[in-house]
Amino acid sequence: MRRMRDQFEEADEETAEINLVPYMDIVTNIIIFLLASVINQVPLGTVNVSSPTFGGGAGEGTPDKPALNLTVTVGQTGFTLAGSGGVMSPIPKLPAGDYDYPALTAKLTEIKKQFADETKATFNADAAVPYEIVVRTLDAMRTYPDEKDAHERELFPDIVFAAGIL
Amino acid sequence: MASAQSGPSANPVAARLAGKRAIRSYARKLAEPEDIKDLNIVPMMDMMTIILVFLLKSFTASATLVNMDQNLSLPPSQTRLAPKQAVPVTITKRVVLVEGDAVAPITNGRIDPQLKRDGDNGYYITPLVDMLGKVARREKKVAEMSGQKFDGELTIIADRHTPYRLLTEILYSCGQAEYANFRLLVLKSRE
Repeated sequence: MRRMRDQFEEADEETAEINLVPYMDIVTNIIIFLLASVINQVPLGTVNVSSPTFGGGAGEGTPDKPALNLTVTVGQTGFTLAGSGGVMSPIPKLPAGDYDYPALTAKLTEIKKQFADETKATFNADAAVPYEIVVRTLDAMRTYPDEKDAHERELFPDIVFAAGIL
Repeated sequence: MASAQSGPSANPVAARLAGKRAIRSYARKLAEPEDIKDLNIVPMMDMMTIILVFLLKSFTASATLVNMDQNLSLPPSQTRLAPKQAVPVTITKRVVLVEGDAVAPITNGRIDPQLKRDGDNGYYITPLVDMLGKVARREKKVAEMSGQKFDGELTIIADRHTPYRLLTEILYSCGQAEYANFRLLVLKSRE
């Protein structure tokens, strides 16, 4: 009888496995925490802008077309557009008090049709304009939905920030 | 083959007994199910380890991590560009940070005039230019050693209420430290 019991014990020892339960506990905990942090992550994007660079640039041959020098200014009352040809009529705010972004995109689309190669624009704003409106205006300046195939086309994606109105 | 076919018909009693025995043994099997001593958790562990590796990978893949709170909420935008690794300059409601280190405090959307080289109307924020100058030197050295070009790119993480004047002051100061290209970090507002 005893010999039999010994034999059974020996057999048990031979087939014993590593206790993986503590390892599983750890892994499960890590997964829960990582999942929680992934859910909290928000989709982030970027808008590329540059600051004006001085010096150079001038005197490198005569350009075929006159430069557009488009400037979009965000004021307290609405948008003002200016180019080499002069200042265009301003785009006032909507009656609700919000800026008229679709009208700005429509106006810029008209300009883009005349200057198809131009991608640069200067951005300017009143000193108190919040960053949120700056980003929304940049969105309106960057692309427009094409009527023909509903695809987005580039307007003026190379935006240079100018100093604010003092 | 012939014997197998003729077997049951040859001895019907034995066949019946064999059938009964089979039924009894099956009934016994049903009555006493085999004890499951322990679950085989190895496949589950394999799966969990794979999930862990993928989660860790996706966690480290996101270039910029922003801790948003009441002093820093990003503006929404329709951009499609993904964030890229660059030196972060954070503008919250209370402070300007470079790589997470506080550089200049902000009160009511303005930098203290004493921290500016040219006083209240100036654009040059001295501590910010100094700090970014150090970062630029380090970045240039790294670029030189790795055989790449110093691109002078900064990620601007700004609160949505930051006034444009403050933003231009900070961008001007960044420009003084040879950083002229900015990536404004925003929240993607569409799918």
